[in-house]
Amino acid sequence: MTSMAEYPPVQENIFTSGESPYLLGGYCAACEIYHFPAPEVCSGCLGEVELVSLGGKGTLYSITTIRTKPPLGLPKPYRVGYVDLQQVPLRVFALLDPVEEHNLVIGQTVQLEVARLGLNSENTPCLRPYFIAANT
Amino acid sequence: MVSIIGAGITHFGRHLERTIVSLALEATALALKDTGLAKERIGACYFANTLGPLLFSDTTIGQNLTAAAGLNKISVVNVENACASGSSAFHLARNAILAGDCEIALVVGAEKMCVPDFGLLNSGATELDTQLGMVVPAGFALRAQRHMYEYGTTVEQMAQVTVKSRQHAALNPFAQFRQLESLEQVLSGPVIADPLTRSQCCPIADGAAALILASDEVATHFERSVQVRSSVLASGSFEEPCDLTHWDTDYRTVQLAYEKAGIGPEDLDLVECHDAFTIAEIIHYEALGLCDKGQGGALVESGATTLGGRIPVNVSGGLLSRGHPIAATGVAQIVELVTQLRHEAGKRQVEGCQLALAHCMGGDKAGDTKACTVSVLAR
Ligand SMILES: [Zn+2]
Repeated sequence: MTSMAEYPPVQENIFTSGESPYLLGGYCAACEIYHFPAPEVCSGCLGEVELVSLGGKGTLYSITTIRTKPPLGLPKPYRVGYVDLQQVPLRVFALLDPVEEHNLVIGQTVQLEVARLGLNSENTPCLRPYFIAANT
Repeated sequence: MVSIIGAGITHFGRHLERTIVSLALEATALALKDTGLAKERIGACYFANTLGPLLFSDTTIGQNLTAAAGLNKISVVNVENACASGSSAFHLARNAILAGDCEIALVVGAEKMCVPDFGLLNSGATELDTQLGMVVPAGFALRAQRHMYEYGTTVEQMAQVTVKSRQHAALNPFAQFRQLESLEQVLSGPVIADPLTRSQCCPIADGAAALILASDEVATHFERSVQVRSSVLASGSFEEPCDLTHWDTDYRTVQLAYEKAGIGPEDLDLVECHDAFTIAEIIHYEALGLCDKGQGGALVESGATTLGGRIPVNVSGGLLSRGHPIAATGVAQIVELVTQLRHEAGKRQVEGCQLALAHCMGGDKAGDTKACTVSVLAR
């Protein structure tokens, strides 16, 4: 954990990597809608969006394990899913627990983690966000 | 109205020694021969290809085809709309004729993708989803998981789509996978993304298909012409939150195509739909109104969509068995409908086929699709 700062995020302004990490997104006050990831402009009004926290908790909407040759230096196999965020009305695509110590199922409460996982577009190790089973 | 007066298709599969233009030329020559027209009568060409720029650094390939075929000076448009590229080219050619821009137009979809280390398709390297590990089979596997969760769809029902597909392809000489597969064989294959096994995912392929479209004035001279009753092209709704048990875009496009043709699902004799993965065919059944929402699994299980059933779907073998050379697929589906409506499909002929529908969908984005086309054809 101490060495996390050495690695770049897979993409800027997607998540924080502190003690309790959370996702970052765009909020348009005029349209009162959230976007993930934060867009250059709001797709509703083409106005500016504010970079805000989307929280780090959610409910698993769907899950699959990809068993073919993984892209981007991800583990084989790796898991992905869609998560309904608790703090804002967004359903986001996400990586899921790469360690596979928890058996994740649809409807389960999950929470965000950030760690070194796979490679970025420059082929160097980077930080990625992923959800794991919530400890509550 | 616009009619189709000529159709041609190459074998779909591995054609390592062929180029995109070589495959396109073969399909074009077959379509021209089918009409008996002099090639000088063609006024425009709509050419679809998706992977040429990525795999071969080739762009604007349509003019390479028309130059090679001696179709010079005409207007040529290159079309890219993911898996719906070929059907989008068809839509544009039909619109050009309706607008009076030309009387006869050539539509070609051609793809060459059997190259070493092709890997898995994604939604574009710069998209965040791609950077978080989204690959095309995963998107469909996530749909399958949610469809199973909400409607009780079973892995056996999904596998049955492949079983049916192989049965149909066995009767189609242009198809890539013509060996029968049992339910057990489909389910025991290697898993690509849970619950989809390998033969529930369409194979990559090289191939080309071509159509020649004509105005009513021209088409009246062709006994075997097939009418385009409606053609619709739409892009995604991208509504939040996405619902993985259906595509809203699918329903919208299908409804509009039915309305414009003045028909309903009960009038159809045949459907070719975008069965890139088994779960996709099941979800498309529901959007097409062939069954109620959530009942797609039961529909394929009942045999209704098998040749000889109430509403045969993908009698060509579809993407799953004919193969899926991306930009050729949308044109190939329509070539199949033309062959069936002319009652020239041999062993896979749908009896009394008079009204048929082609449905194509391309490009994943934000849990929705980038492009969807639906065409209704009649004899
Ligand atoms: Zn806005």
